[in-house]
Parts: sequence; structure tokens; C-alpha cells
Amino acid sequence: MNALRSFWNSPIGPKTTHFWGPTFNWSLPIAAAIDTQKPPEAISGNMTTVMCLYSGIFMRFAWVVKPRNIHLMICHMSNETVQLYQLSRWIRAQRGTELKKEEADE
Amino acid sequence: MAASKLQAFLNHPAGPKTIHFWAPTFKWGISIANIADFAKPPEKLSYPQQIAVTATGLIWSRYSTVITPVSFVFQKQKNWNLFSVNVAMAGTGIYQLSRKLRQDYFPEKEETVAKE
Repeated sequence: MNALRSFWNSPIGPKTTHFWGPTFNWSLPIAAAIDTQKPPEAISGNMTTVMCLYSGIFMRFAWVVKPRNIHLMICHMSNETVQLYQLSRWIRAQRGTELKKEEADE
Repeated sequence: MAASKLQAFLNHPAGPKTIHFWAPTFKWGISIANIADFAKPPEKLSYPQQIAVTATGLIWSRYSTVITPVSFVFQKQKNWNLFSVNVAMAGTGIYQLSRKLRQDYFPEKEETVAKE
């Protein structure tokens, strides 16, 4: 009960925008997780690369902003993970098409 | 005059010596990547991703007007850089969604003729 109460009254708790901002931010890693089931042609190299940089930076931001926002930090850690995975799928697919082009040329 | 303004900017609590500057600066990359993807055919766009980008941009536009960069002392100095980047994110997301929705639900007449 005490844990619930302290969460409810926390400076980054559900009565504050510091909770709902990161809550909506979860849509980014969730969207990327949905996209892991799609073929790699649907991945945008631009967007995925940018997301990796963005979540990297924002993990640090979440740590230093006042009040410190661990919720946001965890959200960005998850996004970083899934975006890096998507990036690896995209790179692998790119290399695959390059190899096919070389074979076709020969 | 100019030197002191430059110094004021450099030393601002949300200035380039802080993460509060670089975080939104990198966030511009999302809108720029989305703008680069305006050239992609809508089939290659992802509904989940664009919905997430739009929703996040809208919510964070609000969030960025209430968070303070350093402490309660600077409460009046809002982070307009963060605000504008989120507005841009929401804008590019909405545009990308409209392109994809238009193609999926309101296809060009030539396509419907070809299907028949």
C-alpha cells in the first residue's frame, strides 16, 4: 500500500505530466516492436538511425532533467534496443540486395 | 553587445553546454528523417511508426512547456527549442499519415480502373 501511495504522489507519478509524457513515448518502441514482424523493406534507414541517436541522447536527458525521470529513461532504453535491432535488420537486407546486384552483374 | 548575448546563450541553463540543448537538437533528426521520407512511396511507410511519431510529438509539445531545465529557480525559462521540435515532429507525422491513408483508402482513380 505504501509503495502505491508513494508512486501515486511521486513527482513523476500519474498526477503529473512527467508520467504521461513518457507513457506516450512508449508508443515509439511498441511501434518498432510491431514493425519487427514486417519484412525489412518496410524499415526506414533514415528514421531508424535517427531513433538510435535520439534515444541514446534522451537516456541521458531523462537522468539529468529535474525531476529525474527513470520512467522516461527505461522507455528510451527499450527504444534504443529495438531500434538497434531494426537497424541491424535493415543493414543486413541492404547488404543482401547489394550482393544480389553484384551477382546479376556477373 | 553581441559578445555578451552570445555569452548569455552559451551559459543559458538550456544552452549548448547542457544536454537540455543537445537532446532537442538530436530530436530534430526525427522530423528531418521524416521529411527525407516524404519522397518514399506510401507503401513503404509504417502506420505504427508514424502514429507513434505524431502522438509523441503532440504530447511532448505540451510536456515541453512544463518541464524546467535545471531547477525551480528557472521556472519561467521554458524550453522553446524542445517545444518547436515536438511541434515539427507532430506535423511531419501527420503529413506522412495523410499520405499513407490517402493511398490506402482514397486511391487514385487510375488504380481502381486497373484493378477491375
